[in-house]
Amino acid sequence: MTDAAYVSLPADRTAARLGVLAVRFTTTFTGLDSVGIEKGELVLRVRRDRLLDLMLRLRDDPGFRFEQMMDLCGVDFPARRERFEVVYNLLSLTHNNRIRVITTTDETQPVPSVHRIWPCATWWERECYDLFGVVFSGQPDLRRILTDYGFEGHPLRKDFPLTGHVEMRYDADRRACIYEPVSLTQDFRNFDFESPWEGVLTLPGDEKVHETRQGPEYRVPPEAAR
Amino acid sequence: MSVTTTGSNDLVWNREALPPGPEQEAVVRGITGEMADKGFVVANLDRVVNWARTGSLWPMTFGLACCAVEMIHAYMPRYDLDRFGIIPRASPRQSDVMIVAGTLTNKMAPALRRVYDQMAEPRWVISMGSCANGGGYYHYSYSVVRGCDRVVPVDVYVPGCPPTAEALVYGIMQLQKKIRRTGTILRD
Amino acid sequence: MSEYKAPTEASLDLADIPEALLPEAAVEERALRTVEIDSHAMNFGPQHPAAHGVLRMVLEMDGEVVARADPHVGLLHRGTEKLIEYKTYMKALPYFDRLDYVSPMCEEHAFALAVEKLLGVTAPERAQWIRVMFAEITRILNHILNVTSFALDCGGLTPSLWGYEEREILMEFYEAASGARLHANYFRPGGVARDLPDGLIEKIQSWTTTFPTFLDDMEGLLTENRIWKQRTVGIGTFSAEQAMAWGFSGPCLRGSGVPWDLRRSQPYDKYAEVDFKIPVGRNGDCYDRYLVRVAEMRESLRIIQQACDKIRPGPVKVVDHKITPPPRREMKRSMEALIHHFKLYTEGYHVPAGATYTTVESPKGEFGVYLVADGSNKPYRCKIRPTGFAHLQAMDVLAHRHMLADAVSIIGSLDLVFGEVDR
Repeated sequence: MTDAAYVSLPADRTAARLGVLAVRFTTTFTGLDSVGIEKGELVLRVRRDRLLDLMLRLRDDPGFRFEQMMDLCGVDFPARRERFEVVYNLLSLTHNNRIRVITTTDETQPVPSVHRIWPCATWWERECYDLFGVVFSGQPDLRRILTDYGFEGHPLRKDFPLTGHVEMRYDADRRACIYEPVSLTQDFRNFDFESPWEGVLTLPGDEKVHETRQGPEYRVPPEAAR
Repeated sequence: MSVTTTGSNDLVWNREALPPGPEQEAVVRGITGEMADKGFVVANLDRVVNWARTGSLWPMTFGLACCAVEMIHAYMPRYDLDRFGIIPRASPRQSDVMIVAGTLTNKMAPALRRVYDQMAEPRWVISMGSCANGGGYYHYSYSVVRGCDRVVPVDVYVPGCPPTAEALVYGIMQLQKKIRRTGTILRD
Repeated sequence: MSEYKAPTEASLDLADIPEALLPEAAVEERALRTVEIDSHAMNFGPQHPAAHGVLRMVLEMDGEVVARADPHVGLLHRGTEKLIEYKTYMKALPYFDRLDYVSPMCEEHAFALAVEKLLGVTAPERAQWIRVMFAEITRILNHILNVTSFALDCGGLTPSLWGYEEREILMEFYEAASGARLHANYFRPGGVARDLPDGLIEKIQSWTTTFPTFLDDMEGLLTENRIWKQRTVGIGTFSAEQAMAWGFSGPCLRGSGVPWDLRRSQPYDKYAEVDFKIPVGRNGDCYDRYLVRVAEMRESLRIIQQACDKIRPGPVKVVDHKITPPPRREMKRSMEALIHHFKLYTEGYHVPAGATYTTVESPKGEFGVYLVADGSNKPYRCKIRPTGFAHLQAMDVLAHRHMLADAVSIIGSLDLVFGEVDR
């Protein structure tokens, strides 16, 4: 006689479905770095060279059917060896699922473009290239999209200053809008809230404690936090 | 009727005219002095021109961002800027005043300046909202012009984020006041 | 491997060119001769009254037919995502009002839900009802603006004259609830900023009885209008497959016949408890997108009515004063409340490390926030998923082989707001 009290379905059907999907990923795919449910969302981490296979499978496999790529974005972690995370948020209308696929790269290694799988990827990849400098291989239209024509640098990198390097004004003599180095009347006041009472942020000399509490992947090097 | 016409020389004002003498001399000297100083015709033409200008300020619709919504609300029935003779124009060639409504970014600034350059004299600029006034909430951004007065000369600043439609109407009335005070038919 | 195939760039086909544009001889020998029409590039915007803001499009024209459209965006790129990384969570919230400035509260909603998810808190019942109510008011605000200015682009002025009066009334509700007509900063992580003033719910209820009259009047002007239909029916047609492949969402996706609404499929706050229908189009053209929006306004009205009935007195924010500020009167008496207030408005609250992609059904479609927290009081990264960005991208396909004036209709029907597209 089995003890039925131990068999119970999760109350939340979404969580159960995600769990089933997660198990399917671990069993059917090889080359995934990790499969996990973080904050109730399914997250896959995959190496760059396995990305296209995975994405195509995610779109076309009847069990997954992620017809829509809703979002593609970069995240910058300057302390890591491969500093950029490229994050794809996919949506399946058929199965009402969401999934997040994360791959990593650095300034020079190209990420394979998915614009042949989802045509809407073109602009998102252009945006990621513009703001982070992530290069996408196989993307025929890798122009800047959001920043000004002739902009230099990639503004959403953590080492890019908030106020940028140049500012614009109209020059009456040259009869044109010109760029000049930034000169602010008052600098941006970025307060440092490292309070000894809270103990949430890392105090100098206290990095070990912080890492064990937060996990190493969210560690911010002090120069980037400034 | 106070003016009765019994004969051509019996008008009331004719009867009250000053007789020749030092008093009449003084009045005549005063008037000719004023005419020599300002010019009789020009002084009144100025007023006519200012009346016409303030009564038909045609703004260039330069809706850049959030403030554009409040600007449209000012044109629409509840605030009805038509009452002031203010009709939005789509072409800079036809407009007298440019309302810069919203954040001016580095990428947009050359276009804004080009539109301003295309406007005919006399022209005025209303800067609407904190972003156009000085960058506002986006002051420290890498891609925002910190105030549209770095690109075009501004006459009236309307504060707010966004200013209400009423505030914009008030700003326009302030501009009318400014035109009445400083307007001239001379080209500057 | 089945790749997505873009429509092939057909060589200049005589059949596509209206007769009026062809020289006389060509009309006679239409089948036999080819006509050389110089393809030229045209600049549309960035200052164009029909561009709905600061859109610049470089159009390659074959005569008056659009051969290729290349939208240039970023003319309102304000660096919002970068600025958010430098502000505390509380100070970052107002940026969301200013993204899609036609539907401010829905954008706040996404950020508030994302932060709540990372914090692991849930807003109280009353706050959730208020949010649902105001999200739907926002949807109506947005759709009035879109539909009426779409009509304005096609030459009809009257709908906007009527519609903006309704918008004024709705903005009065905004003002009564939050103190601001447009940028409300009302939905906060953990609830809403403050409770509704007395009598507002009754006012909203009485407004819901008068609003259908406006909708009927407006539909009377547009829906069966011959000119309106000529300008929109069969223009910018998108099939369901195309719409999905191009990342469409919201009314643009539903106009193409996909019954997908996040309020139904992935409900948040109290949307699971309200009854509403999802209008779906059939042909995926500009006219269907218009019809979907109008029908959505009627459904929103029903949701508002249900919310008015179901809302009960209670707290409007979580009681944890590490996240939400204490009431003002408590601050005058209690030292602890004063400290909480001070800490909250200087340092803000710390959000535990983690990442979430949280979405809401904003009036324009799926508005998402990908929020990465590192345990500090500021977001480590906040990616905003704008709806219009995906829609505008398809402009090249939508406007392909259409007349120039139709490009204007298509822009109107996509419901673009550049604060959001460019961020």
